Amino acid sequence: MKKVLETAGKVCPFPLIEAKDAMKDLQSGDDLVINFDCTQATESIPRWAAEEGHTVSNYEALSDAAWTITVTKK
Amino acid sequence: MTFMILTGLFVGALLGFVLQRGRWCLTGGFRDMYIAKDNRMFYALLLAITVQSVMVYALIAAGKVQFTAGTFSLVAIISGAFVFGIGIILAGGCATGTWYRAGEGLIGSWAALGFYMLTAAMMKTGVLAGITTSVSSAGVVNNSMAETLHVNTWILIAVLVLVVSVVLINYARRPKVKIPQLKPKKSGLAHILFEKRWSPFVTAVLVGLIAAIAWPVSEATGRMFGLGVTVPTANILQYAVTGDNQFLNWGMFLVLGLFIGSFIAAKASGEFRWRVPNAKTMVTSSAGGVLMGIGASLAGGCSIGNGLVMTAMMTWQGWIALVFMILGVWVASYFVFVRPTKQRAA
Repeated sequence: MKKVLETAGKVCPFPLIEAKDAMKDLQSGDDLVINFDCTQATESIPRWAAEEGHTVSNYEALSDAAWTITVTKK
Repeated sequence: MTFMILTGLFVGALLGFVLQRGRWCLTGGFRDMYIAKDNRMFYALLLAITVQSVMVYALIAAGKVQFTAGTFSLVAIISGAFVFGIGIILAGGCATGTWYRAGEGLIGSWAALGFYMLTAAMMKTGVLAGITTSVSSAGVVNNSMAETLHVNTWILIAVLVLVVSVVLINYARRPKVKIPQLKPKKSGLAHILFEKRWSPFVTAVLVGLIAAIAWPVSEATGRMFGLGVTVPTANILQYAVTGDNQFLNWGMFLVLGLFIGSFIAAKASGEFRWRVPNAKTMVTSSAGGVLMGIGASLAGGCSIGNGLVMTAMMTWQGWIALVFMILGVWVASYFVFVRPTKQRAA
Protein backbone atom coordinates (compact mmCIF):
# COMPACT_ATOMS: atom_id res chain seq x y z
CA MET A 1 0.00 0.00 0.00
CA LYS A 2 1.10 3.56 -0.66
CA LYS A 3 0.01 6.60 1.27
CA VAL A 4 0.74 10.20 0.20
CA LEU A 5 1.14 12.90 2.84
CA GLU A 6 0.97 16.52 1.62
CA THR A 7 2.59 18.88 4.11
CA ALA A 8 3.47 21.83 1.85
CA GLY A 9 3.06 25.14 3.69
CA LYS A 10 3.55 23.52 7.08
CA VAL A 11 6.58 24.60 9.09
CA CYS A 12 8.89 22.30 10.99
CA PRO A 13 8.50 20.15 12.96
CA PHE A 14 4.92 19.52 11.73
CA PRO A 15 5.85 17.56 8.55
CA LEU A 16 7.84 15.13 10.69
CA ILE A 17 5.15 14.89 13.40
CA GLU A 18 2.53 14.13 10.73
CA ALA A 19 4.83 11.59 9.08
CA LYS A 20 5.28 9.77 12.40
CA ASP A 21 1.51 9.76 12.91
CA ALA A 22 0.81 8.49 9.40
CA MET A 23 3.44 5.76 9.74
CA LYS A 24 1.58 4.22 12.70
CA ASP A 25 -1.36 3.27 10.47
CA LEU A 26 0.82 1.53 7.87
CA GLN A 27 1.92 -2.11 7.65
CA SER A 28 5.47 -3.31 7.23
CA GLY A 29 6.49 -2.88 3.57
CA ASP A 30 4.01 -0.07 2.93
CA ASP A 31 5.26 3.17 1.39
CA LEU A 32 4.72 6.64 2.81
CA VAL A 33 5.32 9.47 0.34
CA ILE A 34 5.90 12.78 2.15
CA ASN A 35 5.84 16.00 0.14
CA PHE A 36 7.21 18.96 2.07
CA ASP A 37 8.61 22.46 1.63
CA CYS A 38 10.15 23.13 5.05
CA THR A 39 13.93 23.35 4.55
CA GLN A 40 14.82 21.89 7.95
CA ALA A 41 12.88 18.72 7.13
CA THR A 42 15.46 17.87 4.43
CA GLU A 43 17.57 16.93 7.43
CA SER A 44 15.03 15.80 10.03
CA ILE A 45 12.87 13.45 7.93
CA PRO A 46 15.66 11.31 6.41
CA ARG A 47 17.38 11.25 9.81
CA TRP A 48 14.20 9.99 11.49
CA ALA A 49 13.68 7.35 8.78
CA ALA A 50 17.27 6.10 9.10
CA GLU A 51 17.22 6.04 12.90
CA GLU A 52 13.91 4.14 12.95
CA GLY A 53 15.29 1.59 10.46
CA HIS A 54 12.86 2.43 7.64
CA THR A 55 14.11 2.41 4.03
CA VAL A 56 14.24 5.55 1.93
CA SER A 57 13.52 4.51 -1.67
CA ASN A 58 13.15 7.92 -3.28
CA TYR A 59 14.30 11.34 -2.14
CA GLU A 60 14.46 14.27 -4.50
CA ALA A 61 13.92 17.99 -4.96
CA LEU A 62 10.82 18.62 -7.09
CA SER A 63 11.50 22.32 -7.69
CA ASP A 64 12.85 25.27 -5.71
CA ALA A 65 12.22 24.55 -2.02
CA ALA A 66 9.92 21.57 -2.61
CA TRP A 67 10.91 18.03 -1.85
CA THR A 68 9.48 14.52 -1.88
CA ILE A 69 10.66 11.51 0.06
CA THR A 70 9.35 7.94 0.02
CA VAL A 71 9.82 5.96 3.21
CA THR A 72 9.13 2.21 3.27
CA LYS A 73 8.08 0.97 6.68
CA LYS A 74 10.37 -1.66 8.19
CA MET B 1 30.69 55.04 8.24
CA THR B 2 31.64 53.14 5.08
CA PHE B 3 33.72 50.73 7.20
CA MET B 4 30.74 50.18 9.52
CA ILE B 5 28.30 49.51 6.67
CA LEU B 6 30.62 47.22 4.70
CA THR B 7 31.97 45.15 7.60
CA GLY B 8 28.54 44.89 9.22
CA LEU B 9 26.94 43.67 6.02
CA PHE B 10 29.86 41.34 5.32
CA VAL B 11 30.00 39.65 8.73
CA GLY B 12 26.20 39.43 8.74
CA ALA B 13 26.09 37.91 5.25
CA LEU B 14 28.74 35.39 6.21
CA LEU B 15 26.71 34.42 9.27
CA GLY B 16 23.44 34.27 7.33
CA PHE B 17 25.04 32.05 4.71
CA VAL B 18 26.48 29.64 7.29
CA LEU B 19 23.23 29.50 9.31
CA GLN B 20 21.12 28.77 6.23
CA ARG B 21 23.42 26.11 4.80
CA GLY B 22 24.11 24.57 8.20
CA ARG B 23 20.37 24.40 9.03
CA TRP B 24 21.38 26.07 12.30
CA CYS B 25 18.15 26.29 14.27
CA LEU B 26 18.47 26.73 18.03
CA THR B 27 14.71 26.65 18.50
CA GLY B 28 14.57 23.25 16.81
CA GLY B 29 17.62 22.16 18.78
CA PHE B 30 16.19 23.10 22.19
CA ARG B 31 12.80 21.62 21.19
CA ASP B 32 14.31 18.30 20.08
CA MET B 33 16.14 17.87 23.41
CA TYR B 34 12.65 17.40 24.80
CA ILE B 35 10.40 16.01 22.05
CA ALA B 36 12.97 13.81 20.27
CA LYS B 37 15.50 13.26 23.12
CA ASP B 38 18.13 14.55 20.72
CA ASN B 39 20.87 16.84 22.11
CA ARG B 40 22.90 17.17 18.90
CA MET B 41 22.12 20.84 18.27
CA PHE B 42 22.66 21.75 21.93
CA TYR B 43 26.10 20.15 21.81
CA ALA B 44 26.83 22.07 18.61
CA LEU B 45 25.88 25.29 20.42
CA LEU B 46 28.27 24.41 23.27
CA LEU B 47 31.04 23.93 20.70
CA ALA B 48 30.32 27.34 19.11
CA ILE B 49 30.35 28.96 22.58
CA THR B 50 33.69 27.32 23.39
CA VAL B 51 35.37 28.36 20.12
CA GLN B 52 34.22 31.94 20.61
CA SER B 53 35.16 32.03 24.29
CA VAL B 54 38.76 30.93 23.72
CA MET B 55 39.25 33.31 20.79
CA VAL B 56 37.65 36.40 22.34
CA TYR B 57 39.46 36.00 25.67
CA ALA B 58 42.71 35.60 23.71
CA LEU B 59 41.88 38.87 21.90
CA ILE B 60 41.12 40.51 25.27
CA ALA B 61 44.48 39.27 26.63
CA ALA B 62 46.16 40.74 23.54
CA GLY B 63 44.44 44.07 24.19
CA LYS B 64 42.43 43.91 20.95
CA VAL B 65 38.98 43.64 22.54
CA GLN B 66 37.45 45.36 25.57
CA PHE B 67 34.73 43.78 27.67
CA THR B 68 33.19 44.50 31.07
CA ALA B 69 30.54 42.15 32.38
CA GLY B 70 28.93 44.72 34.70
CA THR B 71 25.72 43.79 36.52
CA PHE B 72 22.40 42.28 35.52
CA SER B 73 18.89 41.83 36.90
CA LEU B 74 18.01 38.27 37.86
CA VAL B 75 14.29 39.04 37.62
CA ALA B 76 14.55 40.50 34.12
CA ILE B 77 16.82 37.75 32.79
CA ILE B 78 14.79 34.84 34.15
CA SER B 79 11.38 36.18 33.14
CA GLY B 80 12.60 37.56 29.80
CA ALA B 81 14.44 34.40 28.75
CA PHE B 82 11.44 32.21 29.66
CA VAL B 83 9.00 34.38 27.68
CA PHE B 84 11.50 34.43 24.78
CA GLY B 85 11.62 30.62 24.85
CA ILE B 86 7.84 30.42 24.53
CA GLY B 87 7.89 33.02 21.76
CA ILE B 88 10.43 31.22 19.57
CA ILE B 89 8.37 28.01 19.57
CA LEU B 90 5.27 29.91 18.46
CA ALA B 91 7.27 31.88 15.88
CA GLY B 92 8.90 28.67 14.57
CA GLY B 93 12.42 30.04 14.99
CA CYS B 94 14.52 32.23 17.26
CA ALA B 95 15.30 35.86 16.46
CA THR B 96 18.22 34.94 14.22
CA GLY B 97 16.33 31.98 12.77
CA THR B 98 13.44 34.28 11.91
CA TRP B 99 15.80 36.65 10.08
CA TYR B 100 17.30 33.87 8.02
CA ARG B 101 13.99 32.15 7.29
CA ALA B 102 12.68 35.50 6.10
CA GLY B 103 15.61 35.30 3.65
CA GLU B 104 14.42 31.84 2.54
CA GLY B 105 11.07 33.39 1.58
CA LEU B 106 8.88 32.22 4.48
CA ILE B 107 6.04 34.73 4.84
CA GLY B 108 5.26 33.48 8.36
CA SER B 109 8.76 34.51 9.40
CA TRP B 110 8.21 37.97 7.94
CA ALA B 111 5.16 38.32 10.19
CA ALA B 112 7.11 37.11 13.24
CA LEU B 113 9.98 39.44 12.37
CA GLY B 114 7.69 42.47 12.04
CA PHE B 115 6.08 41.93 15.43
CA TYR B 116 9.42 41.10 17.06
CA MET B 117 10.88 44.34 15.71
CA LEU B 118 7.86 46.29 16.92
CA THR B 119 7.70 44.96 20.49
CA ALA B 120 11.50 45.14 20.88
CA ALA B 121 11.40 48.84 19.89
CA MET B 122 8.38 49.44 22.18
CA MET B 123 10.27 47.88 25.10
CA LYS B 124 13.44 49.90 24.39
CA THR B 125 12.23 53.42 23.67
CA GLY B 126 8.45 53.16 23.27
CA VAL B 127 5.43 53.01 25.57
CA LEU B 128 6.67 49.84 27.29
CA ALA B 129 10.12 51.25 28.13
CA GLY B 130 8.96 51.92 31.72
CA ILE B 131 8.32 48.19 32.23
CA THR B 132 11.80 47.31 30.97
CA THR B 133 13.35 49.85 33.33
CA SER B 134 11.43 48.79 36.43
CA VAL B 135 11.85 45.03 35.91
CA SER B 136 15.55 45.51 35.11
CA SER B 137 16.14 47.28 38.41
CA ALA B 138 14.92 44.29 40.48
CA GLY B 139 17.44 41.79 41.84
CA VAL B 140 20.55 43.36 40.30
CA VAL B 141 23.69 41.29 40.90
CA ASN B 142 27.26 41.01 39.63
CA ASN B 143 27.46 39.47 36.15
CA SER B 144 31.03 38.16 35.97
CA MET B 145 31.30 34.47 36.91
CA ALA B 146 35.04 34.86 37.47
CA GLU B 147 34.51 37.69 39.98
CA THR B 148 31.75 35.94 41.93
CA LEU B 149 33.71 32.69 42.13
CA HIS B 150 37.07 34.43 42.72
CA VAL B 151 38.83 32.51 39.96
CA ASN B 152 40.65 33.52 36.81
CA THR B 153 38.40 33.53 33.72
CA TRP B 154 40.81 31.13 32.01
CA ILE B 155 40.04 28.49 34.65
CA LEU B 156 36.35 28.74 33.72
CA ILE B 157 37.25 28.52 30.03
CA ALA B 158 39.43 25.45 30.73
CA VAL B 159 36.50 23.79 32.53
CA LEU B 160 34.24 24.59 29.57
CA VAL B 161 36.77 23.18 27.07
CA LEU B 162 37.11 20.02 29.16
CA VAL B 163 33.36 19.46 29.62
CA VAL B 164 32.58 20.13 25.95
CA SER B 165 35.41 17.82 24.81
CA VAL B 166 34.07 14.96 26.95
CA VAL B 167 30.51 15.56 25.71
CA LEU B 168 31.59 15.62 22.05
CA ILE B 169 33.85 12.55 22.33
CA ASN B 170 31.01 10.60 23.95
CA TYR B 171 28.63 11.78 21.27
CA ALA B 172 31.03 10.76 18.49
CA ARG B 173 31.25 7.24 19.96
CA ARG B 174 27.57 6.44 19.71
CA PRO B 175 26.48 4.05 16.94
CA LYS B 176 26.00 5.89 13.67
CA VAL B 177 23.27 5.47 11.08
CA LYS B 178 23.66 6.42 7.45
CA ILE B 179 21.36 9.32 6.65
CA PRO B 180 19.91 9.18 3.10
CA GLN B 181 20.98 12.18 0.99
CA LEU B 182 19.61 13.89 -2.08
CA LYS B 183 21.36 12.84 -5.27
CA PRO B 184 24.14 15.36 -5.95
CA LYS B 185 23.56 17.53 -9.03
CA LYS B 186 26.57 19.77 -8.47
CA SER B 187 30.25 18.98 -8.00
CA GLY B 188 33.38 20.46 -6.41
CA LEU B 189 33.06 23.72 -4.50
CA ALA B 190 29.50 24.33 -5.71
CA HIS B 191 28.49 20.99 -4.19
CA ILE B 192 30.08 21.84 -0.83
CA LEU B 193 28.69 25.38 -0.70
CA PHE B 194 25.24 24.96 -2.22
CA GLU B 195 24.18 21.33 -1.87
CA LYS B 196 26.05 19.17 0.61
CA ARG B 197 24.61 18.56 4.05
CA TRP B 198 26.79 20.41 6.56
CA SER B 199 27.60 18.71 9.83
CA PRO B 200 26.17 20.75 12.72
CA PHE B 201 29.59 20.61 14.36
CA VAL B 202 31.39 22.09 11.33
CA THR B 203 28.70 24.78 11.26
CA ALA B 204 29.23 25.33 15.01
CA VAL B 205 32.96 25.99 14.55
CA LEU B 206 32.21 28.47 11.74
CA VAL B 207 29.56 30.22 13.87
CA GLY B 208 32.02 30.40 16.78
CA LEU B 209 34.70 31.93 14.52
CA ILE B 210 32.30 34.50 13.06
CA ALA B 211 31.07 35.37 16.58
CA ALA B 212 34.69 35.94 17.67
CA ILE B 213 35.59 38.06 14.62
CA ALA B 214 32.48 40.19 15.24
CA TRP B 215 33.98 41.54 18.50
CA PRO B 216 37.04 43.48 17.22
CA VAL B 217 35.26 44.56 14.02
CA SER B 218 32.22 45.89 15.86
CA GLU B 219 34.39 47.57 18.52
CA ALA B 220 36.37 49.35 15.78
CA THR B 221 33.12 51.21 14.97
CA GLY B 222 32.52 52.10 18.63
CA ARG B 223 29.92 49.42 19.35
CA MET B 224 31.43 47.53 22.31
CA PHE B 225 29.83 44.13 21.80
CA GLY B 226 29.95 41.07 19.55
CA LEU B 227 27.06 39.48 17.68
CA GLY B 228 23.66 40.81 18.69
CA VAL B 229 20.26 40.63 17.06
CA THR B 230 17.53 42.13 19.25
CA VAL B 231 18.83 45.66 19.83
CA PRO B 232 19.91 46.01 16.17
CA THR B 233 16.51 44.75 14.98
CA ALA B 234 14.78 47.34 17.17
CA ASN B 235 17.26 49.96 15.92
CA ILE B 236 16.12 49.43 12.31
CA LEU B 237 12.56 50.43 13.22
CA GLN B 238 13.69 53.21 15.56
CA TYR B 239 15.94 54.67 12.87
CA ALA B 240 13.32 54.22 10.15
CA VAL B 241 10.65 56.18 12.04
CA THR B 242 12.80 58.83 13.76
CA GLY B 243 15.67 59.34 11.31
CA ASP B 244 17.82 59.79 14.42
CA ASN B 245 21.46 58.86 13.78
CA GLN B 246 21.96 57.61 17.35
CA PHE B 247 20.19 54.40 16.29
CA LEU B 248 22.63 53.76 13.43
CA ASN B 249 25.24 51.20 14.40
CA TRP B 250 27.22 48.19 13.23
CA GLY B 251 24.62 45.74 14.54
CA MET B 252 21.94 47.11 12.25
CA PHE B 253 24.05 46.27 9.21
CA LEU B 254 24.89 42.92 10.75
CA VAL B 255 21.24 41.83 10.83
CA LEU B 256 20.55 43.23 7.36
CA GLY B 257 23.59 41.30 6.12
CA LEU B 258 22.29 38.17 7.83
CA PHE B 259 19.11 38.42 5.81
CA ILE B 260 21.05 39.02 2.55
CA GLY B 261 23.49 36.15 3.22
CA SER B 262 20.68 33.73 3.91
CA PHE B 263 18.85 34.82 0.77
CA ILE B 264 22.00 34.26 -1.34
CA ALA B 265 22.56 30.82 0.21
CA ALA B 266 18.93 29.77 -0.25
CA LYS B 267 18.68 31.13 -3.79
CA ALA B 268 21.92 29.49 -4.95
CA SER B 269 20.88 26.17 -3.39
CA GLY B 270 17.42 26.13 -4.95
CA GLU B 271 15.84 26.58 -1.52
CA PHE B 272 14.29 30.01 -1.95
CA ARG B 273 10.60 30.30 -2.63
CA TRP B 274 7.88 32.58 -1.29
CA ARG B 275 5.98 30.25 0.99
CA VAL B 276 2.63 31.33 2.42
CA PRO B 277 1.46 29.49 5.52
CA ASN B 278 -2.18 29.06 6.50
CA ALA B 279 -3.97 31.69 8.60
CA LYS B 280 -3.47 29.78 11.85
CA THR B 281 0.31 29.63 11.36
CA MET B 282 0.39 33.36 10.51
CA VAL B 283 -1.41 34.23 13.76
CA THR B 284 0.77 31.88 15.84
CA SER B 285 3.96 33.25 14.25
CA SER B 286 2.87 36.82 14.90
CA ALA B 287 2.08 36.06 18.54
CA GLY B 288 5.50 34.41 18.78
CA GLY B 289 7.10 37.56 17.40
CA VAL B 290 5.37 39.69 20.05
CA LEU B 291 6.66 37.45 22.88
CA MET B 292 10.15 37.26 21.37
CA GLY B 293 10.49 41.06 21.32
CA ILE B 294 9.25 41.44 24.90
CA GLY B 295 11.29 38.53 26.22
CA ALA B 296 14.54 39.40 24.49
CA SER B 297 14.31 43.04 25.58
CA LEU B 298 13.85 42.06 29.24
CA ALA B 299 16.57 39.42 29.06
CA GLY B 300 18.95 41.83 27.33
CA GLY B 301 19.49 39.40 24.47
CA CYS B 302 18.12 36.57 22.38
CA SER B 303 19.47 33.09 21.75
CA ILE B 304 22.49 34.74 20.08
CA GLY B 305 23.16 37.73 22.37
CA ASN B 306 22.68 35.70 25.54
CA GLY B 307 22.80 32.06 24.43
CA LEU B 308 25.88 32.27 22.21
CA VAL B 309 27.72 35.48 23.15
CA MET B 310 27.17 36.23 26.85
CA THR B 311 27.70 32.53 27.66
CA ALA B 312 31.08 32.62 25.88
CA MET B 313 31.96 35.76 27.86
CA MET B 314 31.48 33.72 31.05
CA THR B 315 28.64 35.79 32.46
CA TRP B 316 25.82 34.62 34.73
CA GLN B 317 23.40 36.45 32.45
CA GLY B 318 24.31 34.24 29.47
CA TRP B 319 24.10 30.87 31.21
CA ILE B 320 21.00 31.67 33.32
CA ALA B 321 19.24 33.03 30.23
CA LEU B 322 20.19 29.89 28.29
CA VAL B 323 18.68 27.61 30.95
CA PHE B 324 15.40 29.55 31.21
CA MET B 325 15.13 29.99 27.44
CA ILE B 326 15.34 26.20 27.09
CA LEU B 327 12.73 25.74 29.83
CA GLY B 328 10.42 28.17 28.00
CA VAL B 329 10.92 26.18 24.80
CA TRP B 330 10.06 22.92 26.57
CA VAL B 331 6.90 24.29 28.20
CA ALA B 332 5.67 25.72 24.89
CA SER B 333 6.64 22.49 23.07
CA TYR B 334 4.48 20.49 25.45
CA PHE B 335 1.41 22.55 24.56
CA VAL B 336 2.15 22.93 20.84
CA PHE B 337 3.57 19.50 19.92
CA VAL B 338 3.40 16.90 22.69
CA ARG B 339 -0.11 17.33 24.06
CA PRO B 340 -1.87 17.49 20.65
CA THR B 341 -0.05 14.28 19.59
CA LYS B 342 -1.17 12.51 22.76
CA GLN B 343 -4.74 13.71 22.28
CA ARG B 344 -4.79 12.36 18.72
CA ALA B 345 -3.45 9.03 19.91
CA ALA B 346 -6.05 8.77 22.70
